[in-house]
Amino acid sequence: MLISKIKVRQSLSLKVLLTNLAFAIFIAIFIGILIHDRVSSTVINEKISISKIETANALNLAQGHFNIARFQDDKGLRKVVQDFITSSREDGSLSGRETVILSINKNAKDQNIYQTVPTLLVLDSIPEKFRDQIRKSDQILDKRVTIRYSDGGEFPGFLIGGKLSIPRSGDYEIYYLFKLNSQYKSIADITWVLLVTGILLIILIGFSTQFVIRQVVSPVKEAALVAEKFTHGDLSSRMTVASDDELASLGNSFNEMAVSIQQQIYRLENLSTLQQRFVSDVSHELRTPLTTLRMAADVIYQAKDGFDSSIARSSELLVNQIDRFELLLSDLLEVSRFDADAAALGITTFDFVNLVRKCVDYLHPSKSSLVEISAPTHSIEIEADPRRVERIMRNLITNAIDHGENKKIEIKIAESENEVAVSVRDFGLGFNQADAAKLFERFWRADPSRARTSGGTGLGLSIALEDTKLHQGQLLAWGNPNQGAHFVLTLPKHYGTAAYSFPIKLEPDITY
Amino acid sequence: MPLVMVVDDDQDLAEMLSIVLTGAGMEVDLVGRGDQVIDLFNSHTPDLVLLDLMLPGIGGIEVCKIIRQRSMVPILMLTAKGDTQDIVLGLEAGADDYMVKPFKPQELVARINTRLRRINKVGNLAIGNLLIDQLEHKVVKEGQEILLTRLEFDLLVTLAKEPGRVFTREALLSEVWGYQHAADTRLVNVHVQRLRSKIEVNAESPEYVLTVRGVGYKAGAAKI
Repeated sequence: MLISKIKVRQSLSLKVLLTNLAFAIFIAIFIGILIHDRVSSTVINEKISISKIETANALNLAQGHFNIARFQDDKGLRKVVQDFITSSREDGSLSGRETVILSINKNAKDQNIYQTVPTLLVLDSIPEKFRDQIRKSDQILDKRVTIRYSDGGEFPGFLIGGKLSIPRSGDYEIYYLFKLNSQYKSIADITWVLLVTGILLIILIGFSTQFVIRQVVSPVKEAALVAEKFTHGDLSSRMTVASDDELASLGNSFNEMAVSIQQQIYRLENLSTLQQRFVSDVSHELRTPLTTLRMAADVIYQAKDGFDSSIARSSELLVNQIDRFELLLSDLLEVSRFDADAAALGITTFDFVNLVRKCVDYLHPSKSSLVEISAPTHSIEIEADPRRVERIMRNLITNAIDHGENKKIEIKIAESENEVAVSVRDFGLGFNQADAAKLFERFWRADPSRARTSGGTGLGLSIALEDTKLHQGQLLAWGNPNQGAHFVLTLPKHYGTAAYSFPIKLEPDITY
Repeated sequence: MPLVMVVDDDQDLAEMLSIVLTGAGMEVDLVGRGDQVIDLFNSHTPDLVLLDLMLPGIGGIEVCKIIRQRSMVPILMLTAKGDTQDIVLGLEAGADDYMVKPFKPQELVARINTRLRRINKVGNLAIGNLLIDQLEHKVVKEGQEILLTRLEFDLLVTLAKEPGRVFTREALLSEVWGYQHAADTRLVNVHVQRLRSKIEVNAESPEYVLTVRGVGYKAGAAKI
């Protein structure tokens, strides 16, 4: 019920179809009943009125005949009456008419000689009330009744009654019972015809509605389909316009809109491609002078022992800053690769635990002594790009060391069936939870006034997040001012699947 | 003193390179244009060529191909782009190794020295009917001498010295190219292909340098 309701709501064509059918059914039933009533009442009333006139004539004729006749004896009279009754019956057997003659005076025994009731007819078919009316009236009266037979047969019909006065016998009631079988049969036939016509009409209306709907709705549907394609990035999809009607103008407007959007998007795309190209070109162009610079600085640095102490220190600073500059340049280039969707993954299978340990081993001994690793003793093989995963880990660890205030750093590795997770927890400066998302923004700094202590480029976490996304993993950060930070990286073990369960939760157990 | 030809259009960088290389005990020839390389090459044959990929005149890859047509001298490419098709093209054109700018001068000197070093081991090796004369630096197959670059020769010798051993690409990078950390394994792939094209009858189904799927390479079994 609910489902069908939803379907009707969702489909315009179904809605129109159902409404139209409902109207068609209503009108068909209304007209059908009207015609049926009119026809049936006409057929029956006609029959009744004709029968009534005929009966009246017959009665008048008989009565006149009886009145005028002068019979020599009762026997002659009886014969005349008997002949009338017989002929009336015989006539009736052809047309399905029954003739009943009843004496008005029930007690007069000898008057009953002409009383006659057809053998099987149940006398109840003639209601007592009607008989009363006949007795009191001099008119020919009629009434719709059900004619019943003692063998159980029941027929719709009508009754015409009158009075017959037979000389020397007194007054009789005479009733003619007409069956309306054939009339009802005709009416039933007409009913069937009406019914079939009605159903055909409804079906026809259904089909024609469907046809009209298709003409109107299918362009709308097509528009929806095209719009959907458009939304999914197929900017070249257009509606087909094949006529000059209102729907065609819808199609034309839609297509114009599509063209305009496409142009806008291409323009923007072009702009951003140019922008990315520019970043990439600048990065590359900077490399040659940087190479010269680096070599020159190195030559000076090699010879620094022979210099004045301030010059020697300057050469050290020069080399350090060139290192940093180089790092920044390569990070910038990496970011421009992400922006251009040009980052390529080199997927191999490797031991994740080993890789994390290696990242810690690369650290300066004074720093690596701060790090505590709790990891499973067995290896955890994953399919990923080891270069990128290593870069993520190095970024997280460097970040923890930079902001960890020389307190301990906890690294935890855990796994689930299809995922592996690593968390890096420091107990240093931390950050406001509100800044958790901003941490991954390029060049974002928690506190712009704070002196930068590290050689970080400000791109590290942003690159780490991009690397994580390439692996369909998740990288989240938790932090509290002066309670430290907690970064959790979750990667799927198999490349091409996404991480669905998270073995390490983001919120750390706060210990002091 | 070994002679290094530096081919670079950036004069400052070229000068800096010559300072560093001279400091490391090498002689340096500077060339600023790709089309000048060949003239100088004929008159003053270097022991190693340091070649920038982006050059006016003829491009670096083209220069690389021209040098390879006449000499087996080690070629070291310099490139500003570490992630492009240019590197593969350069390696396929005959360069032995490449360095991405900016590099540390010590690293450059070490890489050059690896390419210049002579493996002074006496004795002959063989893979099947392929005879390798280490002293003469010659490879002979069915009486015909096959010309190999020094790097290709080193690669072949490394494999032939331990016939049973499967070398991973990383192991070859360390033994032949002198890389201490993981490096670009494309170097190995490209040079194995080049080596095969010279020594194998059919490079598609090699007999001397075999691929061990998922691991690396090994010398073919000795069969006559």
